[in-house]
Amino acid sequence: MENKDKTILIVDDMEINRAILAEGFTDTYHIIEAENGKQAMETINAHRDIAAVLLDLIMPEMDGISVLRELNRTGKINHIPVFIITAADNEDTLTEAYELGAVDVISKPFIMNFIKSRITNIIELYGHRNELVEIVNEQIKKLSKINKSMIETLATLIEFRDCESGEHVRRICGLTRILLTSISDTYPEYYMDRVEIEKVVNASILHDVGKIAIPDGILNKPGRLTKEEFEIMKQHTVKGGEMLENIPNKIFDDDTFKYAIDICRHHHERWDGRGYPDGLAGDEITIWAQIVALADVYDALTSPRCYKAAFDHETALNMIYNGECGVFNPKVLEILRKNECNVKNEHDLVL
Amino acid sequence: MSMIDKLKELGVNTDEGLKRFMGNAALYERMMGKLPANVRSQEVMKHFDEKDYQAALESTHTLKGVTGNLSVTPLYQAYSEAVRLLRENEPEKAREVVEAVLPLENEILNCIENDQ
Repeated sequence: MENKDKTILIVDDMEINRAILAEGFTDTYHIIEAENGKQAMETINAHRDIAAVLLDLIMPEMDGISVLRELNRTGKINHIPVFIITAADNEDTLTEAYELGAVDVISKPFIMNFIKSRITNIIELYGHRNELVEIVNEQIKKLSKINKSMIETLATLIEFRDCESGEHVRRICGLTRILLTSISDTYPEYYMDRVEIEKVVNASILHDVGKIAIPDGILNKPGRLTKEEFEIMKQHTVKGGEMLENIPNKIFDDDTFKYAIDICRHHHERWDGRGYPDGLAGDEITIWAQIVALADVYDALTSPRCYKAAFDHETALNMIYNGECGVFNPKVLEILRKNECNVKNEHDLVL
Repeated sequence: MSMIDKLKELGVNTDEGLKRFMGNAALYERMMGKLPANVRSQEVMKHFDEKDYQAALESTHTLKGVTGNLSVTPLYQAYSEAVRLLRENEPEKAREVVEAVLPLENEILNCIENDQ
């Protein structure tokens, strides 16, 4: 098979050994030769299409084991098969080479027919594997796109019925990302890695999905709600959680889903236990529900609603710090203080 | 008589060597031409004289690989044995093995050099 678009790198300080290997592969592969590990690393870093490396161990400048270590450090060992050229007389070194990710050993004196078959087979296997990895990565990207667009579709449904601005959920996402990242970086007990934070950000879109179940007359009432009406309004938290729990076949990523259920139910809880629906207090409320709660309050204050005008940024912050919108975790408020500028920018950006 | 035929008489397995070079006789002869300089630059006996057995191990190891690949069988056997003995901490015995093959080694290297 013609593979001239693929390159084999032959690394050996002895020209005789390189010449034999080069002669064996030159009709099917493009060949590059290197006399030591240093040259080899330069070649590997400069070429993207190295299909295999044939690597001698004992060489001047930089030996084969050091090359393997470097390929390990950079992760390249996962994509490029490395064959060790050896006189097969030192078990310890070979063990180390295998541990560092070498795929196979080429023993001297070379038996070219075997070597050709083995190397060709493994190059093909790696080729297929690298292709598959690419395909899987593409699919994951597509899936997460679909995932996000489904979440956004659900959120749009609420916006249709709600007099809130359509940008509300987008701002909640931005505020949640800023505040959660900051608190995660500041307090070890609230640490979350970036991937998890993004899941929470996606989940935050759904925080008000339960409002679909609230009658129009209450949801869009221009004036103040009566006590009875407010009790019904409060049910959007419970309904939201229940709705998501009842979605068949879990169309979303599992973790995003769990975050979304928790956020729906608990984004009106308060630190002092005087929120709803469960009256959770302190860190009984998850940090992501606490953060989305604060983001929601800030955005509600700074946006015009059917029952009120918008407050400016400073007034909104003062109302939050003064406890006019319920009590928040002091650490969460501390994070808000630290990020006042970012929060304002995010809000203005999407306004 | 060609160099290949002369080497054959000195115990070089030229058929096997040629096969290793995919039947490319010109390349085989060209690489064989590099053997004398390769062997001499390793200075194996100097390392033994200086009792630098790590250097002796590295050079005999290199020559084992090269002579094996060129199918210079008598030298390959001697250097393989020397490597094994050096690894087993028997440097004196390793030296004897290398010394014993020196006359034949010279004959083979001269044969190659005279041809060039």
